This record gives sequence, structure tokens and C-alpha cells, in this order.
Amino acid sequence: MNSLDPRVNRLPKIGLPGQVEPKVPLDQFGTFEVFVQPKEGKPFQHEGIVHAPNLEMAFVLAKEAFTRRFLCVSLYVVETRNVYVSALTEGNTTAYDFIHFVDQQPGEKVAFEIYHLPKRGKQHQHAGTVYAATPAEAMSEAKKQFGSKLVYNVWTIRTSEIRFTSADEKELWLTLPEKKFRDAADYKGGEKLKEFLERTKA
Amino acid sequence: MYGGGNTFEGIKTDSLAQEDPVKLAEFEARIDRGEKIEPTDWMPQLYRKQLIRMIEQHAHSEIIGALPEGTWITRAPGFKRKLALMAKVQDEVGHAQLLYSAAETLGKPREQMITDLITGKSKYSNIFNYPAYTWADSCFISWLVDAGAIVNQLANAKGSYGPYCRALDRICAEESFHLKYGHHCVIYLAAGTEKQRQMFQEAINRWWKPMMHFFGPSDKISAHTEVLMRWKVKMASNDDMRNQFLDMYVPKIWELGFTIPDPALKKNTETGRWEYTEPDWEEFKRVINGDGPCNKERLEVRRIAEERGRWVREALHVPKARYVTPLA
Amino acid sequence: MNTAALIELLYKMADDQLILGHRNSEWTGMGPLLEEDIAFSSMAQDKIGQSHALYQLLHQLGEQEPDTVAFTRNAGQFHNCIFVELPNGEYDFSLIRHFLFDTAEAIRFEMLSRTSYKPLAELSVKIRAELRYHTLHANTWIKQLGSATRESIGRLQHSLEAAMPYALGMFEPSPLEKEIISQGIFEGEVVLRERWMNTVAQVIGQTQLTLPDWKLINPVYGGRSGKHSEHLQPLLDEMSEVFRIDPSAEW
Repeated sequence: MNSLDPRVNRLPKIGLPGQVEPKVPLDQFGTFEVFVQPKEGKPFQHEGIVHAPNLEMAFVLAKEAFTRRFLCVSLYVVETRNVYVSALTEGNTTAYDFIHFVDQQPGEKVAFEIYHLPKRGKQHQHAGTVYAATPAEAMSEAKKQFGSKLVYNVWTIRTSEIRFTSADEKELWLTLPEKKFRDAADYKGGEKLKEFLERTKA
Repeated sequence: MYGGGNTFEGIKTDSLAQEDPVKLAEFEARIDRGEKIEPTDWMPQLYRKQLIRMIEQHAHSEIIGALPEGTWITRAPGFKRKLALMAKVQDEVGHAQLLYSAAETLGKPREQMITDLITGKSKYSNIFNYPAYTWADSCFISWLVDAGAIVNQLANAKGSYGPYCRALDRICAEESFHLKYGHHCVIYLAAGTEKQRQMFQEAINRWWKPMMHFFGPSDKISAHTEVLMRWKVKMASNDDMRNQFLDMYVPKIWELGFTIPDPALKKNTETGRWEYTEPDWEEFKRVINGDGPCNKERLEVRRIAEERGRWVREALHVPKARYVTPLA
Repeated sequence: MNTAALIELLYKMADDQLILGHRNSEWTGMGPLLEEDIAFSSMAQDKIGQSHALYQLLHQLGEQEPDTVAFTRNAGQFHNCIFVELPNGEYDFSLIRHFLFDTAEAIRFEMLSRTSYKPLAELSVKIRAELRYHTLHANTWIKQLGSATRESIGRLQHSLEAAMPYALGMFEPSPLEKEIISQGIFEGEVVLRERWMNTVAQVIGQTQLTLPDWKLINPVYGGRSGKHSEHLQPLLDEMSEVFRIDPSAEW
């Protein structure tokens, strides 16, 4: 190609212009939900998804996709398939109205993380951890603990399916606050502008 | 970055007649109350289709928009500019990622969206079909094209679809540095040497027409979009956004002593609206339909990028995986 | 403190970071997956940022301003190893270089956190923390692609073999090596190389790749004394194209 962009001129010749190879299903992999803790002591909140081939790669990619800017102290990811969702409600109806109490289920009780949507349009926030043998039982346990709250959607996630940040990995975000070159505050042109205006007025 | 434009042509509202009237009324009432629509809500086909189209076009605009500025990453003058431009263009790729994710919640897979971009089936913001000849061109884009995109994004952030609003909130937060960086670059060119000033003046002369096209055809010749405005999919008229942009930025350009190549450009002090030479909408149509200086190159770069990366994706492909629509 | 020895060490590290960061930034907008594009660009920015911090240390020691040092020297004045100036090739070469270089860099800055020159020790602690992500990223990609398909394994193997002589060039001994070590500035390239070889072998051992025999490879030296390949000057010409329009101008 004869481009103004030297990088483009270095591109290899692959295939033919206009001949597009259609993408196979899952060419872009499946998705993983990403949860970020903005500050120590604050709850984790849902931020979005990454496409990734597996859980470990999802963690690695989510770190830059969602925590390369602003403040962050921890991050975790889980496959979208492993998030169980309740009904979505609105107005004065809590999502817990559509979650039913279930009997104790057979099997080992394991930890489940519970997330609430506080308002449509906002992000899901971590509410707590419950112990149950199945997702349905986890929803039921969540209802016991949080059922009086007005929330519009509930998620439950088996803790063992989550790739957490380990204690010693927290240094991944150590230098984040120092990367000022991505802050608007680093681009104050006021002084230069003032100097220019005064110079040209003269 | 996204400037609206051609998106809403050819909307057929016939499908509405086939929708469940009770559900449709509930859906519209929810929007009127100011409540957001989330992925699992019932929604009319037309809403889903037009939203996918709009969010997808916005995503494509970001990934294609990374190219004219990306041209100057390896040539950015000095550490401050080099770092800033790398971060800015990275953000554009990041915004594409966020926006494709939002569109995916409506049911269109990312594979399909990328394919539709590269085949030319889906459109993107027309302004990126023009070449960034000099460093000053990249500064024009970073400041003024971003400024235009922000006018559009701030309006859309108040729209009805939850996932798109959440993506836009994040995008607007990240964009605040882009705008300041762009303005900072231009101030330095303006306050610099004669050569620097001239470089930017020539960039304005090249980019002004595409910038006037940025917000899409004037309202009087645009497709009827009342239903989309009612559903808070389209949040402001093209002319209103164009006027807002002119109001905010023309004074700032003139303040730096630059001229704008439109002798008719002025603010009508009685109406408060800006007057300008009517842009050539036939040219706009030609370019957005493939006949611009860089259309072929933009798509070819994306096609090559996807092809080059194929072995990587194939290697990590998980054949037994089952795709599930993202949640939010 | 032998300032000459310290300055020489700082220049080679700063030049390595600048050139490799610049090379890696060429992938921005063109990566194999959007999320990976974003991640690779972050690491390129980190390298440029780290090179800037190192040039600032040099400036404190009497060298010129970072912009001048980075954007006006010619190839013969640069002290990066040849490894980092090589073209990006395909993603396999770029990933292999990322793995081999960042593994060495992480160990180097861990060692430098104990340097007798305090400003560098403080900076090294921060850089090492940043590099935690770089090595996590590189190891994850190499381990996954290095055990995936015949094509990915074949490509990485080929790149590993092509890269190795250049990678060994990272450890080209300095004429001031004795002073650097005796002054407690740095434990030296030999110690670094040993640790690096062990770490690389350990990661490659978890893949289906085969590590070339170190004893059979001739390192490609020269970069540290300004003898570069044909790739560096065009890179520098491109990098300084706008800056050189008027080096005294403010951009």
C-alpha cells in the first residue's frame, strides 16, 4: 500500500484486498465478566466483559482493558456462563420478589458471591457471600440475608469459579496513580495560551 | 469517536404494527419515566435493530478512528506527545472494545460486527476517510474531531439503553484527557514558530469541510427519526449538535488567530444560531459510500490486521465453548 | 562513585526501553484481538515512560534533556542492544522478544533495587512492580501459544531460535563492567544472564517448545558500543521526523 502511514507501508501482503475471510463462530472467543475494586474497603463492582480463550487470559487482558486508568486495587473475572441471574425488575418491585426460598439442597455447601443492581443503568455491586450447594439455593440464601432490600437484579457466582487477584499481585496497580500522562490535569494549556494572547495583542 | 450522520436513513416503522401493543406501551412508558432498558427487557424489533446499528457504527468509528492518529504515534515529537498519543489511540481501541460489548448484549456477535466492518457492509464515522497529512492534522483530529464526538457522546449518554449508557460514561471519563491533550497540542502550535502555525492553518483548511459533515446531514434533508427520538435512541438533532460544536469551538479557534475557510461562518446574534455555507451533502454521500481518499486503505488495514492475527486466535480457539450473550 | 560507569549503564537501559517501547507501539490498533491490542499498548507506554525516567536520571547526572537525548542522537550514539531495534515481524516474533526481553528486564530491575546509587534504587523498585504485569502477560501468552497448535508452536519455535543470538546480545559486557560491580552499582551482566537463562528455561519447560543450546549460539554484540544493524537509523529517522522539523520548537 502507498500510505501516509509508515506503519501501514510496512504491513505484510496477506490475502487479497476486498477478499474477506468470514469469521468462524467463537473466532473472538467467549466472554468473561470483569469485576473491579476501586479502593480498599469499597465493594467490587461489575465493569464489563473481555473476550478471552480462558480464565487466566481473561484476567491478564481485563487488567489493562478495565484498570489501566483511574484507581484500582483489585480485579477478578469469571466466565459469563457461570453467572446466574435473577429476573429484572423496576419501580418498587425488588428482584427478590421473583426469587423463591428453596429447601436445603444435598451436597457440600460452598461459597457464592452475591451482586445487586441498585438501579437500572447503574453497575452491579458486590453485596456479600452466602453458602449453598446450588445456585438456586444461593439465591434463596441471598433472599434470606438481603431480601428486604430494593434491588433490581441479583447475580450469584460460585466463588471457586472466579480468578481473583492474589495478595502479592496487588502490586500490579502500584504505579497506577503516578501515570499522570493520561490525566486531563497534565494538559493545562492556560499559561501558554495567556502568554500567546498577550504576545499577539502587543 | 462517533459523529452520527448516515445511521438513521431508511427506517421502516412497519414492523411496529406487528409488535404486541401492551408490551410496546409498557416499554415506551418505562422510557418516558426515565428508566433504562436493560438487555433482558422486552423491546420492539425496531429498537433492537436501530440500537445495534448505532452502537456498532460507533464501535467501528473508534477502531477506524485509531488509524489516522495512529499514523503519528511513531513520529510524535518528544516524550510528552509520544506518551499521550499512544495512550489516546489505545483508548480508542478500548472504546471500540467497550462499544462492541454493549452491542453484543443486543444479540449480535462480535465476529459478525467485525466481518461487517471489513466487508464494507457496516458504516463508520465518515471523517476518518480523510488522510492525516501532517502532525498538525493529528492535532486537529485530537482536539476538534474529539470535541465533536464528545458533543455526540454526552447527548447519547442520556439515552435509554443501559449497556450503551454505561459504556458512554466510561468513555466520557477517559475522553476528558483527549480533549485537553488535543487543545494543548494546538495551543503549542499556535504559540510556536511560523512553520508550526502554518502547519495547523493548513490542517484546518483541509479538515473544515469534513468537520462540517461530522454531525450528519442537515435536519431538513435527514430521514424522519421521530420514533428514535421518542425512544431516546437518537438524543439530539444533527443541526443542534453541529450548532453546539460551533458555538463551543469556533471562538476557541479564532482566539488562537487561525482562520476558518468559510466566509459565511458567523453567529447570528439575534437567533443565537451559527450560520455557515451549507455543506455539500452529495459529497458526504459519495465518501461515506466508499469514494473517499482513504476508505479502501482503512478497510484494508483492518482486513490485514484480522488476517495476521488469525493464527493466534485459531491456536487458542476452544471448540467446545458455548457462546453466551454478555449480561450488562 | 564512578559516574562514567553509572552513566553507561543508564544509557543502555534507557535506550533499550525507548527502542523496544517504540517498536511495540507499532502494534497499536493492529493487534490480533482488541483486548490484547490494549494490553500490548499499555506495556509499550510503560517502556517509554521508564526510558523517560532513566533519561531524567541521566539529566540529573549532567546529560542533556530527555527529549534532546532521545530525539536527536544518531544510530552510532545509541547503546541499545540490536535485539530491540529489529523489526516486529509477526506476532510470534514480537511475543518471543517481549518474553525474552521483559524476563531479563524484570530481573535486572530487581537486582538494581539494591544498587548503591539511591535514585536508581528507588526507581527500580517502581519499575519492577510495573514489570510484574509484563512478565505475567508474556508468560501467559508463551505458555498458552507454546502448547496450542502445530502452527503456534512452530511459529514460536522458529522465532525463539531466530531471536536467541540477539537476545544474548542484551548481556554484552561493558568495558566498565569491573567498576560497575566493584562500586556496587550493579552485580553485572554475567550474574543477570545466569538468572535469566534459568527463568527462561523454567517457562519454556512448561511448553512444547525446545530451548536452543546456549553453548552453540554466538551472541550478536555491537549495540552497546554503537554498532547497530541497518534497522536502527530508519527507526530513529521516523521517530524524530516531526521533532527535527525544528528541534528548538516546543511541540
